Amino acid sequence: MPIMKPKTREPSEAADAPNGQLSFAELVEGLTSGDHAVRLGAVRSLGIQGGTPAIDVLCQHLVIDSDRSTRDVIAVELARLGGEAVVEGLMPLLRSDDAALRNIAIDILKELPTDVAPRMEALLDDPDPDVRIFLVNVLEALRHPSVEDWLVAVITMDTNVNVVGTALDLLNEVGSTSSVPALRAAIARFPDEPFVTFSAGNALRRIGSAA
Amino acid sequence: MKHVLIIDDATTVRMYHRQILSEAGFAVDESINGVEALEKALTKRYDLFVVDVNMPKMDGYRFLRELRSNADVHQAPAVMVSTEAEAKDRDAAWAAGANYYMTKPTKPGALTRVAHLLTGEAQ
Repeated sequence: MPIMKPKTREPSEAADAPNGQLSFAELVEGLTSGDHAVRLGAVRSLGIQGGTPAIDVLCQHLVIDSDRSTRDVIAVELARLGGEAVVEGLMPLLRSDDAALRNIAIDILKELPTDVAPRMEALLDDPDPDVRIFLVNVLEALRHPSVEDWLVAVITMDTNVNVVGTALDLLNEVGSTSSVPALRAAIARFPDEPFVTFSAGNALRRIGSAA
Repeated sequence: MKHVLIIDDATTVRMYHRQILSEAGFAVDESINGVEALEKALTKRYDLFVVDVNMPKMDGYRFLRELRSNADVHQAPAVMVSTEAEAKDRDAAWAAGANYYMTKPTKPGALTRVAHLLTGEAQ
């Protein structure tokens, strides 16, 4: 789901927000209402309130509420709010067994390059290789000047062949001549993995260098 | 000639699997997610689906559930290909409607053998 992130909320939009007079506790309770409109209103109002408690609640509610439209509205609000609290709140979702939930978390993180970029090196050290794969997928959309450097670091140091394979897939798009030594080293580091040879070799050909 | 649909959001994985299966004598089409794959499966009869798990828009599990519940689609066998190798991941694949489960990265010989077996072209 590509998230259409509004940069800011218009003042008139905040004034017209549903549940504008309700307390934080009442809005949290509204999230569990059987009335879909009440749930959506609570989500929007919590998005207007902002702050770490509201962000934590919205991130947790993504896990609980499997309704697609509610999840979409939460995603838009979190992408609009951004910040460290949103990144922190979404990281556990990357470990979920719910593939749709992981995709939502990835889509939101892709909308937050300025919040994700300063933490990317630390995030790519996550002990769970599946999380590292998802983070490499986030890199695809970050459009940050360090993306190639991060990818080179992954294919140089990561010991999991599938994390390396995911980074190689992206280097096939963004890799430049500065990736050539790391691409050759990856082929040498995984001599028994035909996919690494194929993907790194393909990147080298695209860049214009022989494997 | 048997027709295979490869469904994976990673370009190089699609290229890699296409090369392997083409060299093994299969006609190969590609889709980048489950939504696109379902559209193709509704308009063309495939003999095998090679399905990634984690994809945007529609993941591999949901694709298989939609496929298996759609009477208008030819019910070809499906190989689920995933980076995840735990028993729960295999169980989820079987439950969704997969016929075989392979962990990434695939080896050419293994993928070719499975494709031949599942399409009745065992060599």
